[in-house]
Amino acid sequence: MVNAHATTELERDGSNPQPKTAKRRLPFLGLIGLVLLLVGPWLFDTYLLNILVKAYFLAIVAVTVDVLWGYTGYLTFGQSAFFGIGAYAAGLVFTHGGLTPGNVFLALGIAVVASVAVAWLVGWLSFYREASPFFATVISLVLPIVFVQLLLSGGTWTGSSSGLTGYETFDLSIEAWYWIAGSTLAVVSLLAWVVVRSDGGRLLAAIRDNESRCSYLGIDTAKVKTILLVVTAVVAGIAGFGYGSFSGVAAPELGGFVLGTELIIWVALGGRGTLWGPLIGAVLINVITAYLGSSMPFAWQLILGAAFVLVIVLLPQGLVPVLLRPFGLGQYAVHEPALVSRPLKMQSNAIPEMPALVMDGVAKHYGHLKVLEGIDLKANAGELLGLIGPNGAGKTTLMRCMSDGAERSSGTVSLCGNDIRKLPPDQCAKFGLGRKFQNANIFETLTVAECLRIAGTIRERPSLVRQAATLALPQYALDVVSTTGLDKKLGVAAKDLSHGEQQALELAMVLAQEPRLILLDEPTAGLTKTERTQIGHVLSSLAHKYKLCCLLVEHDLDFVEEIATRIVVLHQGKIVMEGSFADVVNSELVKTIYAGSSHAMQDPV
Amino acid sequence: MTHPALQLQDVTSGYKASVVLRNLSFSIAAGDAFALLGKNGMGKSTLLKTIMGYLPKKSGTIHVDGNDITRLPPYRIARVGIAYAAQEQALFADLSVRDNLGLGLLKESWFDDRFAQIEPIFPVFKRRLSQYAGTLSGGEQKMLLVARALMMRPSIILLDEITEGLQPTVIERLAEGLLWERKTHGTTMLIVEQNVPFALKVADQYLVLKQGEIVDRGDAKNGSATDTIFGHLRV
Amino acid sequence: MILFLDILTTVAILFVVTAGLMMIFGVMKIVNFAHGALLTVGGYAAYVVTQLKLDPWLSWPLALVTGMLAGMVVESLIVRPLYKRPLDAILATWGLGIVMGQLIVIAFGREVQFVDAPIKGTWSIFGVDYSAYRLLLIPVACGLWATMTGLLNGTRFGVKTRAVIMNEDLARGLGIHSGRIRFITFSFGTGLGTLAGALITPLSSVDPNMGLNWLVSAFMLVMVSGHSMASLLVTCLVFGTFQVLVNTFVSPVLGGLAIAVLAAFTLRMRPKGFANG
Repeated sequence: MVNAHATTELERDGSNPQPKTAKRRLPFLGLIGLVLLLVGPWLFDTYLLNILVKAYFLAIVAVTVDVLWGYTGYLTFGQSAFFGIGAYAAGLVFTHGGLTPGNVFLALGIAVVASVAVAWLVGWLSFYREASPFFATVISLVLPIVFVQLLLSGGTWTGSSSGLTGYETFDLSIEAWYWIAGSTLAVVSLLAWVVVRSDGGRLLAAIRDNESRCSYLGIDTAKVKTILLVVTAVVAGIAGFGYGSFSGVAAPELGGFVLGTELIIWVALGGRGTLWGPLIGAVLINVITAYLGSSMPFAWQLILGAAFVLVIVLLPQGLVPVLLRPFGLGQYAVHEPALVSRPLKMQSNAIPEMPALVMDGVAKHYGHLKVLEGIDLKANAGELLGLIGPNGAGKTTLMRCMSDGAERSSGTVSLCGNDIRKLPPDQCAKFGLGRKFQNANIFETLTVAECLRIAGTIRERPSLVRQAATLALPQYALDVVSTTGLDKKLGVAAKDLSHGEQQALELAMVLAQEPRLILLDEPTAGLTKTERTQIGHVLSSLAHKYKLCCLLVEHDLDFVEEIATRIVVLHQGKIVMEGSFADVVNSELVKTIYAGSSHAMQDPV
Repeated sequence: MTHPALQLQDVTSGYKASVVLRNLSFSIAAGDAFALLGKNGMGKSTLLKTIMGYLPKKSGTIHVDGNDITRLPPYRIARVGIAYAAQEQALFADLSVRDNLGLGLLKESWFDDRFAQIEPIFPVFKRRLSQYAGTLSGGEQKMLLVARALMMRPSIILLDEITEGLQPTVIERLAEGLLWERKTHGTTMLIVEQNVPFALKVADQYLVLKQGEIVDRGDAKNGSATDTIFGHLRV
Repeated sequence: MILFLDILTTVAILFVVTAGLMMIFGVMKIVNFAHGALLTVGGYAAYVVTQLKLDPWLSWPLALVTGMLAGMVVESLIVRPLYKRPLDAILATWGLGIVMGQLIVIAFGREVQFVDAPIKGTWSIFGVDYSAYRLLLIPVACGLWATMTGLLNGTRFGVKTRAVIMNEDLARGLGIHSGRIRFITFSFGTGLGTLAGALITPLSSVDPNMGLNWLVSAFMLVMVSGHSMASLLVTCLVFGTFQVLVNTFVSPVLGGLAIAVLAAFTLRMRPKGFANG
């Protein structure tokens, strides 16, 4: 269990740590739930048991929605479609084939396989490179609509608008069903909770916070999201199978977008991103709806809708966490692992003779506008290149062309001997490229330790089950962390760090991925004098001691003079000069460029 | 006593967690023009954006002609009489030249009058009013930026590196135009520039910004100004 | 010939239904998920007019005004606070749609109702008899398109609105009160939504869920079309034709899906849709 590891309880606002009793509260709540599960059949009457079985199956789907939306940031109205697939798998097989052991496996198999296939298709449609999150949501809304339309056009085979009813199903008592549904819910929730709280599970929050950063760390986020969708689809499908088997009815509403939106409402009201909030919310709302459904159906729906709107506008974290906060629940136990050095994994694969970067004839244009032209550049391990030039010279574009295969218009780019072709940033990162952005590009809601651990994902896979007691980083990343004092702040959320600390964190994160080539975009921007000196030392040692290749875009020429081994001057999209700092600084060319009287160099307007 | 046209007191601002400007204070008297110089990344553009209300002030106040504009949103600041033209800001490429020029005006009916006033400086636009702004050449687009600001008849003009990428003759043109504007209307100006000769030609005084603080100031017309400034911009 | 008229009228209907949604999407960059409920409200406005035995033409202005008033309230209370949280704004408008739907059910009940059309019967066009009211929608859509294009391109307010659509920050720096523009556009967009509901109801019927069926098609069209009235028209033309063809030659059920599916694949292949440039 999670609490067994060394944990430090820190409230986010820095006030007194929680009393020890609070640590026990969440498992205590879980215990109450388990007890209710066990003794339910003796406590509740048959009517309520009936409702609860259905509510439990629906709550399972609500949990999957929370994992997708609350934790990963993917707003989906489509989980109901998978629920419907499961229900119809049961309904169709049992209606047309009867209830035999073989058919049971067949139905379950269909539920799983169909869910996987559909989820894969949806993932392909929704999670591609330039997809907007909104588009993914729209697709998730289209899914149940398409599903229902297909059902409606299925004639007697699918039962059309009335669905399939009265088919033979498992002959189990209501108590047995209650235990089955309840334990499935318990198991699913527990598994989800373990994964979401594990080191690897924080990747979901990282994707939600800053997907692009994940890409540049080498993580194929589309793949992660698709796999997640497939897994949650199968879970929802199995829940649907259970529901369809229990109720003996498979109706189109079970897979429609009304249910899909209801799931979102339960999760929003219950508290997105908490797991237990949506669980409680789903169960409660279903129970209340069943009881009020006959006496005041419209008023209740109205109240739910209004509550939903109010929660979204005023209380985005949901109702249940707010209601339970006075009892000390809802605070995250913060986990601070011990820092440990690890040997570089890349070293065995290193081919020191290959230059870290080769750019040949690279150009970039937007229509007629030429931003970069004829770029030939080579950089080797151990070099520290300063890339300088006035505003608009194309420096950031140049860095983008190095880190993203789709960016340039022509020419070739090789990273450590690998041609990047049109490959996306995560592939470039895997070839050994690390990119540090100008604005501290980190995971705001993750702690320092979690950021660093996620950053090293391609080298050291975080566990999907445990919260490891140690965090292993390459020595140079550890150096940055200790020099800047981040080792005392491992449990602090990244958004609560100062600007200089965030910059240092991002640098440490980039180093955690063990790059051979680092691109740094104005690393000293906004830093104090001390912070500049620190980072200067860090970069020097990276190049000279650890033989990384560093490429900096900088305006602070004093800084560049201190540490660079070579200077490259970019002007109007072309490399106009390369050489040592002294050569470049004293050249007439560069003086005129920087002094602003470079009229002779300008192209005609 | 008359208030300065623009007065900053102890202004600190930046993006999100970072601090770019630190306790900046200076004031510009009505009708004066200041050149704001300094290397890239030193906070010049940030300063203009802060004055214009695009960036929140973490501390300090800004007054225009005695009125506190610190908390005002950009559209109110524009209406108070500050026009902002930045080379990165672009135009409305899909709107006509006429629309681009006229959008800053409070009343459509003022267009003809105002346009007649700026026409001597920018004759090229007379025949291109219905052309889409996106089809103008780079230099013409920059001129459109400045023309648009002048059309607003502002009391203060903020310019951010508008000479970037322009031909010498065009730059000359712009300088003349701005000087004419100063002479005719007494407009106060704050000019951020990399092009030092241009800036010194138009302005009376200069400020040098480094790491978000003013490190030097002086008379733009002083013969040794150029050398002093290049010292700060030293490559 | 019937096919041709089917296509034209379908395109007209699609345009009428999506125009209001597009105004809001263009200026505020959010999809108003209450649009379906607004269509329904418009339908019930027509129903009220029928029940009160008034001239059916009155349903149009009634719907328009109701929608605009509703829009003003919604923009101030719900959309504006969520300015910085666009995905939540979409959710909130969705919730609002639910609330509106329930209020309608409480007020009017769940049954399907019918309304009187302002003109009845058929007209004879090029040798075929075709529903007169349906044909009427073609000039109505054209008029709507002309009005909106005229407003956007010909008036000062329209230019300011287009400026806000293109670059809100720049517009603000020029002294344009983008907050007010958003308020006016939103109200106008919701008014158009209810008007569309009143316009299309005589074609079939009105029930509390009628708007829902249009919602998905409408915003898929808006997402593909980008931000101008011209591109919206083109989008409606292409997708409307496609839908009618599928309806006629394949199956009516799949025809209902045609727009959503085609739009999904279009956007997947070409993320900018039909937007200019």
